[in-house]
Amino acid sequence: MKTSSKIFTALILIFLFAPIVILLVFSFNASKSLSVMSGGSLYWYRELFRDAETLGAVRNTLVLAISAALISTVMGTAAAVGIHRLRSKAVRLGYEQVTNIPMTNPDIITGISLMLMFVFVGRLFGASTSLNFWTMLIAHITFCLPYVILQVLPKLQQMDNSLSEAAMDLGCTPMQAFFRVEIPEIMPGVVTGLIMAFTLSLDDFVISYFTSGNGFETLPIRIYNMTKKTVTPKMYALSTIIFFTILALLIMSNLIDTSAPGVEKPLRRERTASQKKRLRVAGAIGGVLAAGMIAVMIIGAPDHPVLNVYNWGEYISDGSEDSFNTIRGFEQWYKENYGSEVEVNYTTFASNEDMYSKISSGAVSYDVIIPSDYMIARMREEGMLLPLNFDNIPNYENIGENFRGLYYDPDDEYTVPYTYSFVGVIWDAERVDEEDTGDWDLMWNEKYKGDILQFNNSRDAFATAQYKLGLDVNDTDPESWRRALEELKRQQPLVKSYVMDEIYNMMESGEAAVASYYAGDYFTMLDAEADNVDLRFYVPERTNYFIDAMCIPSCCQQKELAEAFINYMLEEEPAIANAEYICYGCPNRVVYESEEYAEDMGEEAMEILYPNLDVFAENFNRFAYRNLDAATLSLVNSLWEELKIN
Amino acid sequence: MRKIIELKGVSKAYDGQVVLDHINLDIYDNEFVTLLGPSGCGKTTTLRIIAGFEQPDEGQVFFMGEDIAALPPHKRNVNTVFQRYALFPHLNVYENIAFPLRVKKAHGDEIDTKVREMLRLVGLQGFEKRSVTSLSGGQQQRVAIARALVSQPKVLLLDEPLSALDAKLRKDMQAELHKIQRASGITFIFVTHDQEEALSMSDTVVVMSEGLIQQIGTPTDIYNEPQNAFVADFIGESNILNGIMLEDRKVKFHGHVFECVDSGFEKNEPVDVVVRPEDVDIVPEEKGMLRGVVTSVTFLGVHYEIIVDVQGFKWMIQTTDFCAVDSHIGLFIEPDAIQIMHKSKYSGMFGDYSSFSNEFDELSDAAAEVEEE
Repeated sequence: MKTSSKIFTALILIFLFAPIVILLVFSFNASKSLSVMSGGSLYWYRELFRDAETLGAVRNTLVLAISAALISTVMGTAAAVGIHRLRSKAVRLGYEQVTNIPMTNPDIITGISLMLMFVFVGRLFGASTSLNFWTMLIAHITFCLPYVILQVLPKLQQMDNSLSEAAMDLGCTPMQAFFRVEIPEIMPGVVTGLIMAFTLSLDDFVISYFTSGNGFETLPIRIYNMTKKTVTPKMYALSTIIFFTILALLIMSNLIDTSAPGVEKPLRRERTASQKKRLRVAGAIGGVLAAGMIAVMIIGAPDHPVLNVYNWGEYISDGSEDSFNTIRGFEQWYKENYGSEVEVNYTTFASNEDMYSKISSGAVSYDVIIPSDYMIARMREEGMLLPLNFDNIPNYENIGENFRGLYYDPDDEYTVPYTYSFVGVIWDAERVDEEDTGDWDLMWNEKYKGDILQFNNSRDAFATAQYKLGLDVNDTDPESWRRALEELKRQQPLVKSYVMDEIYNMMESGEAAVASYYAGDYFTMLDAEADNVDLRFYVPERTNYFIDAMCIPSCCQQKELAEAFINYMLEEEPAIANAEYICYGCPNRVVYESEEYAEDMGEEAMEILYPNLDVFAENFNRFAYRNLDAATLSLVNSLWEELKIN
Repeated sequence: MRKIIELKGVSKAYDGQVVLDHINLDIYDNEFVTLLGPSGCGKTTTLRIIAGFEQPDEGQVFFMGEDIAALPPHKRNVNTVFQRYALFPHLNVYENIAFPLRVKKAHGDEIDTKVREMLRLVGLQGFEKRSVTSLSGGQQQRVAIARALVSQPKVLLLDEPLSALDAKLRKDMQAELHKIQRASGITFIFVTHDQEEALSMSDTVVVMSEGLIQQIGTPTDIYNEPQNAFVADFIGESNILNGIMLEDRKVKFHGHVFECVDSGFEKNEPVDVVVRPEDVDIVPEEKGMLRGVVTSVTFLGVHYEIIVDVQGFKWMIQTTDFCAVDSHIGLFIEPDAIQIMHKSKYSGMFGDYSSFSNEFDELSDAAAEVEEE
């Protein structure tokens, strides 16, 4: 019995802490790979502290969490005291219940309703952007408040009511009685409430996501938006740091609770007094810090123009891993060329759809956005884009001829292409015969049964079958989609699993040998492949091409500045830095004709990323995904489910 | 003696329920006053009005001649010892006692001197650093008293401070409180529902019931000359009978005319007659002024308590002589053992032991204590 309970306890501990341990271990990994542990190193910690954007998000998160925690603790304690002093029991219980409701509310409802309210109030006052730091602060205070009240109220109820009467009797004013007697009594609850509010605010994603506005990005949102590329290991380092910070807070709050009156032994009296003093000092420092940070945010509000750029996560050369910092570069370049200061407020999104809903909510305003082709087509049709003034973008001439007149912007009025890529097949030369490669048939080859990875997203998975069969990926004829489904069903027994981000790990470690994925991401895998793995890449004749392009949305406040930014991004230095950082194809002649760039990228990458560009426009217009109508979309979804259920 | 507190026509009601009904009360310097009454009689409310925690609906409160009705508690030179002590758990013994001085921003040396003096007064030297939660009930009580006395108030209010202590400790603390009051020379206003406690400690006892003061007097006055049936019954045991005052010093009850020492009543006025159980002598049947049959006998150590049926009225008599149940005995009452009272609304409610049992009495006491909480 005893040993079995010990084993069970051990299992529980492993279950609870294994993920954290793995996170911790890999945060010290010298390489990027999750599968290969190539020696301990502080490399990712160093990288983390060099990443200005991420550190900015950390700073934002801390400012927000500390301010929200302090304000909600003060407000919540006051509210709890108010509720506690209500004479009528029915009214008091009513208040307690009402303040509890927000805790049981799903975050998503809280988030949406807060966003609606902010947008509504913002419109009422005619503000162009109603979501900002302050709305987020209000939102965080809103969801932290009930937790503080919940912590403080029981302490008040446990407290002998005659304590404050005794204090007043002994010469205290009601205020003095509150601070000298009641506050020390309920302090454990107040501190627990504070710590709870802090941790809640620190890791909140859903509510923050709905209420975040221009340029104020918290860490959870930033990490979420990194999904365009894979999450970099510096986030493991950051998560490890956060974990230990929270752990320290937790231990601190437990110490406070055990030193609460009534529990301690008389001998520990002295120590508690000094602990209390230390706590007070810590509280004061925290308060001053938060006040200072808020003050900086208010006073530091720039008097020069601010350019709001909205881009995919991890999709710009930002100074990390010794790269060129494009954003700071623009600020400098602008000052040199135009003689005035400008500040870039850079925010990220995780998908075209996220970006679209944020912009169409009308609560934010961005000056430059970088969506994908099909989304550009949609936004253009809906009048959400402004035509560009190419007089302000002289560098547009650098864009290769093959990247003009594409279907989403046939007259080149609205967009300047940023990157392009395509889907290809990745194969492990250690296990796959070269003669089997070249087209989509490899993904259906019985020889590699159980070694094949297929996309875990309907559009990309269907497309592999459609390209293989020579079908149109944008067909509205259901029969054509059913044929593709049959092909996928035929492939199903060969497939090891349907994956998205897991593909990195499985291919790098040699767990799987054949997969189709995006060209840029192949290079990421190449960097981290294990010793017994030799990854190669080829592009079938028919495949998906996609382009992300810079546009100016109709909510833009600084059009000329935005055009200056777009122009700068086409300059040689930032364009090459960007192309090297992102590892996607670059439609900029200055880049792909540069010898320096070709040298940096290596022969293989150049061959893959820049095949015969003469046919790019033709291929793109023929094979790229377009918006599907609603009927086809729902058909695709139901067919996809039919496949996955099997 | 100087009048220190004066209540004039003070009334208080909660949600339409009258708790105090036009109370008039004078309290003098250096007095030990007890407010005595059953739970709900208004004694604690009176105390809270003096302390300043409650505002009277009507009437005035004077403190050394000054109307203090509008003065908040912290500005009154009156301190309270709470029923459950209300010590501050986050402070040690020393800091609890020093609290009022620290609030007043007294000098450190002064605080130290006064706190040590108080610790000596309540016999808690050496307990300075102890946490108040580690003390026994009696020790906490002493800390509460020291804390209330350290700033030398004119009046100390004590709200049933002994009710949470066990019987033995309560006796000790009664003596202790009395001693402290004498030593400090401060007026004590003590609230209790325990009549023994009231009689043994006080200079003046104020008997209250239903928001009214029933009688104010010294403990002996209250015991020997109760003014109505309620007081007679609440203080000690009493046989209360309907009688008629034939003339001065002559009263008739049980169909028999007795001599007494009271005068000033109207001729043939119906009155309440009080005879204390210990004041009745048992004599042979033929020598008795009244004759009765013993219906029950209880041995209580010092004396027997017997119930005697006299013409259907059950008397309680305390005697050192044993009488068997069913024996016929005679009762003899001295004139000065008879106390005559005017009729009041309490007439007929008390003083007949026909339904008496010790057990029942204890039960109702326990019920009263529970209500008090």
